[in-house]
Amino acid sequence: MNKAFEKIALIEGIIAAAFVADGGNLLGWCANSVISPENLAFIAQTCRSVLSASSAEQRAAHTGIVSFGNKTLVFRESEPGIFMAYLDSPVDEGVLRWLFGQVTPLLAEEGVKLE
Amino acid sequence: MLRQALILSSHREYAQTMRNELLKLDAKMLVNVETDGVRAMQLAPQQYDLILLDATLDLMDGLQLLQFIKNQSPATKFVVVSDASEEGARALAYQNGADFFIERPRTPESYDLALQAIQGLFKTGTVTGPLPSDVGAPPVSLVDILQMHCLSGDSILLMVKGSQHSGDIFIYRGEVFHAQYPGRGGENAFREMIRWDNGRVRIKTIKLTQAPPRTIETPYRQLLDAAGLAEDMTPQIEQQGGDLFVVASETTPSTAALAVINEAPPRDPPPPPASNIFFPDPALSPRGNTPLPRMNSHWRVTLTGELLEGSQVAEPDRCAFITTFIYRKMADVAVALEVDYFNEMTLLGPHLQQVLVADNLGVRHGVFDAPWTNETMRAQYVKWCCEQSL
Repeated sequence: MNKAFEKIALIEGIIAAAFVADGGNLLGWCANSVISPENLAFIAQTCRSVLSASSAEQRAAHTGIVSFGNKTLVFRESEPGIFMAYLDSPVDEGVLRWLFGQVTPLLAEEGVKLE
Repeated sequence: MLRQALILSSHREYAQTMRNELLKLDAKMLVNVETDGVRAMQLAPQQYDLILLDATLDLMDGLQLLQFIKNQSPATKFVVVSDASEEGARALAYQNGADFFIERPRTPESYDLALQAIQGLFKTGTVTGPLPSDVGAPPVSLVDILQMHCLSGDSILLMVKGSQHSGDIFIYRGEVFHAQYPGRGGENAFREMIRWDNGRVRIKTIKLTQAPPRTIETPYRQLLDAAGLAEDMTPQIEQQGGDLFVVASETTPSTAALAVINEAPPRDPPPPPASNIFFPDPALSPRGNTPLPRMNSHWRVTLTGELLEGSQVAEPDRCAFITTFIYRKMADVAVALEVDYFNEMTLLGPHLQQVLVADNLGVRHGVFDAPWTNETMRAQYVKWCCEQSL
């Protein structure tokens, strides 16, 4: 998983990214800032609880995009866990496609299907 | 044990120094900093073992905020930091629930003293407030606590701390509605949690005033039966302050106790049927020029979780709850990222798409049917929200 995240760290605009497995283990992460892995794991778990709560309200969701000013947190839950990326730019559908177009094959090489 | 701390201060330099000092105690400690009192009110204080807050914050009285947060999280340790050691402020701080009062440290020596005082709070487990610390509380039988609250028809949040994990179990009107811990939620989480540390864990209880999200439909007795734990122990229950301490008997459960366990739980009045409650439709608002896009439903809540208005809103309480839940969770994320709170959020699902738009006054939450919704419509909703008063 480290190799994938070494490449993910090079994706333009990525401030940090992480993948947390279903059991809560931080399987991979990268950060181009001082964000700690513990914080990344906490954020990923918090995003997961939001998706879980939304599903409990009959509004199932798998992907979230949260704007904090000009920075954006993107997360996507799949069967093996939750992937999150923190980007230094706004994110629209085009950027979202572009992001996952790059991330998905990198994670797939590590055996993680992000669909 | 001091694992998570929040520094609530308008003095950034002090907050950063104190954060570094706390991390010297334990590099694994999670220390968050918040400079805005209004935003701090949106955080879930229960997650913190320690909150250091200024007696005076920008635009807010820290001691009033202390009282507000202390009510939500009585087990958290509160240290009030003041720029002047006034007796009046000190007395008021303790009256409002502070565990310790210190003058703002300005020298390395005074930081050392402050840290010693903080460590003392967690070493001794003594508190000056009305409730005992959970640090020294003995582990209790989770099953006993669950049965007691379910049989009583309680609505309560159990904050469960095992030796390696911590999580939450939500009981609403005597049924287990939701369980979660990092990495797992729902029934699977519940099944795991009741087996943590052989069922003996530390528990804090918090009353629920609103229905939590429901991820567990199985009746609580079936849940316990499935785990083979429903009749293991007879509880002896005593309550000290706000925390419950249960000592499970090692003897065979008495018939009387089993009779209580097997007795049908009290029936709550059935929940009100789902209804379409029409609030004044914000689409009729004269503000702005952007028309409201075609939507499934939408509503607005204040930052304190009050539903102000909405359209096509079934079960208004639940709508308000979920919006507030998401907002608070994202407030935690903002603090972790050290950024301002979110202004827009989109949740994409197979059937529905949701958009939340927030500012310092409230949150608007819109739900779209996925098949005929596109980015333009969601952007139109955001624009419409911005033209309205949140």
